[in-house]
Amino acid sequence: MSAGAARVVATPAPASAASARAALELRGVGLAFGSSADARKILDDITFDVFQGEILCLVGPSGCGKTTILRLLSGLLQPSSGEIRFEGAAIAGPSRSRAIVFQDYSNALLPWRTVAGNVALSLEARKVPPQSHGEIVSALLKKMNLQGAAGQYPSQLSGGMQQRVQIARCLAQQPKILLMDEPFGALDAMTRQALQDELLQLAAEQKMTVVFITHDLEEAIYLGDRVFVLGSNPGRIIEQIKVDLPRPRSQLETREDWRFLAHRHRLFGLLQGH
Amino acid sequence: MQRFVRGAMLPVLIVLLWEVSSRTGLLQFESLSRPSDILAAGLGGLADGSTLLATWQTFEAALFGLLLAILVGILAGTILGLSATTERIVGPTIEAFRPIPAVAFIPLSLLLFGFGLPMEGMIVTYACVWPILLGTIHAVRGIEPRLNEVARVLELSFAARMWKIILPAALARINVGIRVAVGFALVVAVTVEIIVNPRGLGYSLILAQQSLRVDLMYAQLLWLSFVGYAINAALRNVKVSQPALLVGARP
Repeated sequence: MSAGAARVVATPAPASAASARAALELRGVGLAFGSSADARKILDDITFDVFQGEILCLVGPSGCGKTTILRLLSGLLQPSSGEIRFEGAAIAGPSRSRAIVFQDYSNALLPWRTVAGNVALSLEARKVPPQSHGEIVSALLKKMNLQGAAGQYPSQLSGGMQQRVQIARCLAQQPKILLMDEPFGALDAMTRQALQDELLQLAAEQKMTVVFITHDLEEAIYLGDRVFVLGSNPGRIIEQIKVDLPRPRSQLETREDWRFLAHRHRLFGLLQGH
Repeated sequence: MQRFVRGAMLPVLIVLLWEVSSRTGLLQFESLSRPSDILAAGLGGLADGSTLLATWQTFEAALFGLLLAILVGILAGTILGLSATTERIVGPTIEAFRPIPAVAFIPLSLLLFGFGLPMEGMIVTYACVWPILLGTIHAVRGIEPRLNEVARVLELSFAARMWKIILPAALARINVGIRVAVGFALVVAVTVEIIVNPRGLGYSLILAQQSLRVDLMYAQLLWLSFVGYAINAALRNVKVSQPALLVGARP
């Protein structure tokens, strides 16, 4: 925290003052590929905080480095400049405390394991005694509306169901933060809305910190406490907005709220400009 | 059943023609026995146990060689598949050894082990290890990178990553290599027996020929084809129950 306090951070405080502690702090994070002479800059000087219990949405055009930021946050990638701290300590590599939900759910699930087996992988990783796996897994499957699917293999499920399995597996690792990389991008509109609402409910119940990547403006506004707009070449934050819409949100009323429309209008203009 | 009858028509007809023409004197070759004589010789071999003993000896050597090849192939293949550096160092040596025909090692193996099971088993291993090794290298290298990322985020230990992710993910393609190797195992075992090793079906075959027991030679040949067919049929059944064999599969 001391490093964060020493520097002025242009990040508005989150909705609730009680959750104002930063879970993740990014300070001047940059990423470049290649040698220093002809290095290709992917990300440039990204500085922001992710606060405990908030849903932060990153939205931007394809190729702006959204996914790269998420991989940096998970520890799968290391920045070439700047620093990323998680709960005050610099990130050295991936950790179970930061779960990542990949967009390509079909590649991220183990095809030879059943739904229950896939969720149990996280429990095995946490070395939870096997006799308590059944109970934990069925509770998680119930939470994700997957009760009937425990014995099925991923290939037997629809895309929405597979993504639910991946989220259940991430929850089973008991993360402190959920990193989601366009998790609903490959799903149809109906399924996407259902999963959005399930995510909001889940986040509210568990006071989960979520970083959510999307290219869908409306999804970002609907889900987020804050929305960051990214510009490309190199990827950087060009705008931050605080979403002042009340919770719980609803697909019908929230999306018709004048504030929702105003945010959408503004962000749409920003993204068009780039 | 109907398919079986249709498929059996041609062989039955040939055997009948063969029997009739050799009895009527139409066919007179020293290298051709009558089907009835062949049947008698075959039944005789089965009755006195000599055929079954020879079958077991061949089978034993093929199985020993194959199992060793599976062990070595999967182990070395996994290491080479995971580590690009190791592959760069060992790869050229492997490529230099691979084109040498397995039977070319018969003299060396004979010097090292003498006649018997180990000598034959080593030749079988040499022949069988290549498809399994290469299959495993490609299987391990072709694993979905996402699964490795899942393993990293879950902080799985190396052993857990091997056992829960890499081996099950690679198993389907490793299986293909094993299947090819099974085909090699019997062929190479019989070949070694025919050329040099005084045991097993290959040796009985060459012994029957050399002692001018042409009927017995044919009977052995038929028996060999039956054994090969039975092994293939058994393997087809293994494929059906494969999901149950998958490592790390949990309910």
